[in-house]
Amino acid sequence: MSGWSQFKAILRKDLIRELRTRDMLVSMILFVLLAMIIFHYAFTVKEGADLTYFTGGMLWVTFIFAMLLGLNRSFAQEKDEHCLDGLLLCPVDRVTIFFAKTAGNLVFLLIIQAVAVPVFALFFIERNFLGDLLPFLIVLALADLGICALGTLLATISMNTRSRDLLLPILLLPLIVPVLIAATGATTLIFAEGASFGSLVARLLLLLGFDAVFLVAAWGTYDFAIGE
Amino acid sequence: MKKLLSAPALFIWASVLLIVGILLAFWYSPIDASSMGFSQKIFYYHVPIASAAFVAFGVAFVAAIAYLRTQDLKWDRLGYVGVRIGLLFSILVMATGMIWGKAAWGVWWAWEPRLTTYLLACFLYAAYWVLRSVVDEEDRRATYAAVFAIIAFIDVPITFFATRFLPEGLHPVVVGPGGGGMEGSIAVSFAICMVGMLLLMAAIIRRDYEIELIRDRVTDLKTSLGG
Amino acid sequence: MSDEHDRQDGAASLEIEVEGLRKTFGRREVLKGLSFGVPRGGFLSIFGPNGAGKTTTLRVLATLLTSSGGSVKVAGHDVREDPMPVRKAIGFISHNAMLYPDLTAQENLRFYADMYGVEDREARITELLERLELSARRYDVVRTYSKGMRQRLAIARAVLHRPRVLLLDEPHSGLDPRAVDILDGLLTEIRDEHTFVMVTHNIAKGLEWGTDLMIIEGGRIAYEHAADVDHESFSAVYREHVHDGSVL
Repeated sequence: MSGWSQFKAILRKDLIRELRTRDMLVSMILFVLLAMIIFHYAFTVKEGADLTYFTGGMLWVTFIFAMLLGLNRSFAQEKDEHCLDGLLLCPVDRVTIFFAKTAGNLVFLLIIQAVAVPVFALFFIERNFLGDLLPFLIVLALADLGICALGTLLATISMNTRSRDLLLPILLLPLIVPVLIAATGATTLIFAEGASFGSLVARLLLLLGFDAVFLVAAWGTYDFAIGE
Repeated sequence: MKKLLSAPALFIWASVLLIVGILLAFWYSPIDASSMGFSQKIFYYHVPIASAAFVAFGVAFVAAIAYLRTQDLKWDRLGYVGVRIGLLFSILVMATGMIWGKAAWGVWWAWEPRLTTYLLACFLYAAYWVLRSVVDEEDRRATYAAVFAIIAFIDVPITFFATRFLPEGLHPVVVGPGGGGMEGSIAVSFAICMVGMLLLMAAIIRRDYEIELIRDRVTDLKTSLGG
Repeated sequence: MSDEHDRQDGAASLEIEVEGLRKTFGRREVLKGLSFGVPRGGFLSIFGPNGAGKTTTLRVLATLLTSSGGSVKVAGHDVREDPMPVRKAIGFISHNAMLYPDLTAQENLRFYADMYGVEDREARITELLERLELSARRYDVVRTYSKGMRQRLAIARAVLHRPRVLLLDEPHSGLDPRAVDILDGLLTEIRDEHTFVMVTHNIAKGLEWGTDLMIIEGGRIAYEHAADVDHESFSAVYREHVHDGSVL
């Protein structure tokens, strides 16, 4: 029994549960696709409106709001069935729980993005950006990590409060602004003009820095967030 | 010595310095060479207020760490007060910033790094306040608030950094002193205002903190009387 | 080390040692200095009115809560300083099953087995499911289980890792007679090798199982005695301290 095997056990449990019920995944995917359709109607008031430089923004706003739905769910059941007590009774480092939960949320986000990005490209992007796929995936991964890490920490707190679902967006959205700025900037550049690593480096470093700083911060404070 | 640092004393120090500072700012320091002209004088208060806000949040940050380590609720009270004052000063930063912007550039608002960061800080710390209001158990509330205060404080500089990626607006509002260093007379007035403002912040925090402690004592007395 | 000490003293050593336990939530003091011990192989039944601090005490023993003062040692380890070995040594049964409804019995038990590092995982799971008469429903999701079945599976979860100490929080509440029988049957089987602390409102069960009795009231121990009292006299004491409607 090691931290790693416990990490895998928690991750496996969450993945099995979600893949079996598919509650969260299906809702999140539907939400994301619907959001795109709504964006189209919201932004094409003028005939032939050019949305090229809005693409990054649209995409990330959608993902963040979808994650808000998903993050609450990932803890809701632990709380409702008192499974959280069961988990805390185990001889497991609280930080391991944090990493496992973050990893689980990351997997779900990646699954949704795998479905959403091609559809988004179909609806909104004219340029073939497959040449820039690698930078795009890196931006995706780094931004996702930041969102999931902070989101998991805050969901752990908000699930124990009176207005669970309403609190999480209020806590998370202001904190996630740097990620939003860097990710939308980088993504828009990639979609609209094509971007080499050089032009993205500053934003990538910001994302990397954000992830590093908040992973450490979450590591240090998670014990307090999850305990009683 | 303790009397010199008590809340009333701090208020007096602060007022003296701020009044002297503003007098100097208007009558002693020259009008800044930059194109903003007379309206630039707002920076003598605007920048100190911004610094005081940041320091107040810093106080909340330190108090949060201290609470998590000691579980002593006094630190929670200090953190709460720090955030409240920080929020107040942040709003003042934006107000003075907007006035300055209007006077100097004709616009009420610009998405420039400093203003945007303080706007976001307002939302962050408003979130802190909402978080506190939805947790009923005192110790849990203090713990969650502390965790959030730590995360929020780390986030503010990162956000400031990130806002510099945004494209420069049509009317960049220069929030610092025009040009490189500050010349003598400007520096003196500025320094006096800065110290005065920080002392004012300290005075308010101290007084509010003492009020919170008294409030706790009253609640304790009520409980022990069977309230 | 504490383990050596245990072996030297044999059955007389204390498996659970509580000294001056205090717990405050904010400024509300719930536990005001409890001191008691449970010897190895003992069974402590804790009674008390609601809000007295019974469950809080149990949760401190279970490392789910950190004490605000005093010392608590379980299985030779301090719960504050050294919670990990304590968690390995305890099993917790409460009226909440702590089972994942969308996972099967097997998946639930496998999960907990992995978390506790149970080495003979599959064999142990099979053994327990048989004992608890749940083998037939092994591959069904827990959502389809009745309350009694969930409680039985919860017992499996609690003893999966062969803990030395069992903490029970009103385990009989809400169970149908069949489930009560199975629970009692299992408790009888493992009675000898284990130490128990049970919080209950059920005087009959508390007296039946307990070697020691305790009533907690207002965060303090109001009454403690060996369990060699008869039902009548204890009920009288009980009624004196506990004013809500409990099962006699």
